[in-house]
Amino acid sequence: MAQRGGTRGLTAALVCVIGFGITGCGRTAPAASVHVSWRLEPSPPIVGTPIVAHLTLRDADNQPVNGARLRLEGVMSHPGMAPVVAAVAERGNGDYEAPLQFTMAGDWILIVTGELADGRPIAQQIEINGVRPAS
Amino acid sequence: MNILRVPFIGAFLRWRHARLVLQLLLLLAAIAVVLHGLLGPQLAARNLATVLTSIHWRGFLIIAIVAAGNLFCTACPMVLARDLSRRAVHPALRWPRLLRGKWLGLGLLVAVLFAYELFDLWSQPRATAWLVIGYFALAIVVDTMFAGASFCKHVCPIGQFNFTASTMSPAELRIVDRETCQTCRTSDCIKGRSDPARPATVIQRGCELGLFLPSKVGNIDCTMCLDCVQACPHDNIALAARTPGIELLDQARRSGIGRLGRRADLAALAVVFTFAALVSAFAMTSPAYIVERRLAAVLGATSEWPVLAMLFILGLVVIPAALLTAASAIARTAVEGRRSIAATTIAYAYALIPIGLGIWVAHYGFHLLTGVLTIVPVAQSAAIDAFGRALLGGPFWTWVGVQPGAVFPLQLGCIVLGTAGSLGLVHAISERDEPSRAVLAAAPWHVVVLLIAITALWILSQPMELRTTGVLG
Repeated sequence: MAQRGGTRGLTAALVCVIGFGITGCGRTAPAASVHVSWRLEPSPPIVGTPIVAHLTLRDADNQPVNGARLRLEGVMSHPGMAPVVAAVAERGNGDYEAPLQFTMAGDWILIVTGELADGRPIAQQIEINGVRPAS
Repeated sequence: MNILRVPFIGAFLRWRHARLVLQLLLLLAAIAVVLHGLLGPQLAARNLATVLTSIHWRGFLIIAIVAAGNLFCTACPMVLARDLSRRAVHPALRWPRLLRGKWLGLGLLVAVLFAYELFDLWSQPRATAWLVIGYFALAIVVDTMFAGASFCKHVCPIGQFNFTASTMSPAELRIVDRETCQTCRTSDCIKGRSDPARPATVIQRGCELGLFLPSKVGNIDCTMCLDCVQACPHDNIALAARTPGIELLDQARRSGIGRLGRRADLAALAVVFTFAALVSAFAMTSPAYIVERRLAAVLGATSEWPVLAMLFILGLVVIPAALLTAASAIARTAVEGRRSIAATTIAYAYALIPIGLGIWVAHYGFHLLTGVLTIVPVAQSAAIDAFGRALLGGPFWTWVGVQPGAVFPLQLGCIVLGTAGSLGLVHAISERDEPSRAVLAAAPWHVVVLLIAITALWILSQPMELRTTGVLG
């Protein structure tokens, strides 16, 4: 009897959760035609040392993309670690800058999100491997 | 104290469906892990698969063992899955005699730990999901082929870890009154109970792991499923409070286990449990990468696996074997003992479990405390992934947990407590085995425990470095 009740509950839970999975993906597709290039200064980055992330946005014709409102967030490759969030300032000619400070050595992923001037969303992931420990 | 008599908690635990409720909760979590791992963002910090397993499941598992008992085996959703499977396929075989004992489970535990490091599973939501699927599949395959709880007892690497750690739990299932058991004629606690009208129909299982309660000692092989509590017609089983680790001193022949002193596999499990705690914590520090780079240069390795394999062989086999053999040999010489080095090593190996547990708690507790709140934004984000709307609110990505620096004193406390436990056990084993020369017999083992403790403290004081690119990347 207990197991019959369990089976019913299990079935309901499965339907429910699988439903979550297949009804998803409601986020707007990002602007794929915009290319984001980047460099860090200084490089390689060191824990606790202020750095600047330079981002350059170019469209499909390699023209600068100005007027984007960007947000930069860094997360570690390991879950459960504190992210770093940076305000991104536009410097003109498709260039953007964000001051950052990594809090732990290892591999980071920078997530650039935001909107272009025409309202299209933009999202890009940048892998930063080997942030050095402070000596 | 009998926890089964404590108001509310006891009533819940004695409720016939308590285990099912707990299993369903973990099954839902497992389904969420699999679905989000396969379909969600492949970013470890943003995926339920990696966050729930690496941060919350491991952390709560080890804390539950220290605070109460082997609760995660109680709530194991894989057992629920195999119970459902057994409705369709009845196991016809007995587990092969050759594979009995802990060697297979120990090998799988090392394999899982090795794979975790080699493939950086903490950073791989999809791989984590497949690992969970693999666990379920293995449990179902094994337990639909073989009778009893073959998967739990002989195969499950998590189970072997839990059995070892739960020797330090503050509670165990045991009989209340010995005379009641002596007059019992049914032995339902191990045989279970069948429907009198249809004898083939089991209406209540007995212990599937072969632990006969009157001669059961401690928590090894006990999944705390409470089947024995449900089965006992005399209400003669308690979930009793006890001194953690006391079972490791008991030399009596125990049901389903035998004598600890004759179980080289269990002793090896205790040793690997302890040294794997060091290796696992060390792998997350900056010096680990220096060591790996040097090893890679020495080996001329062009991929990571030989380097990692060498680290595992050194950390889990060579160094423990050298240390423990040396301690046994010195102790044997000092007390002019007649017992073999192997027998001495087996006797004392169990004393390492407290310090091993202290290191695991310090490690997994760190991740839990520093990342405990990350489940909130990740669940919020998963809801957005699933429904396209922020049903749980916008992700609060800044919700993380305790500052890493604030956790260090707690980690220190875990190591100190573990060290004290191991030193105490070493002394007690020496008093038991060499009462006239206990101090001499214990001295080399005290040194081993202190060496492990110092190494653990050194590792925990190192800067963390979390990399997925390996030593050569």
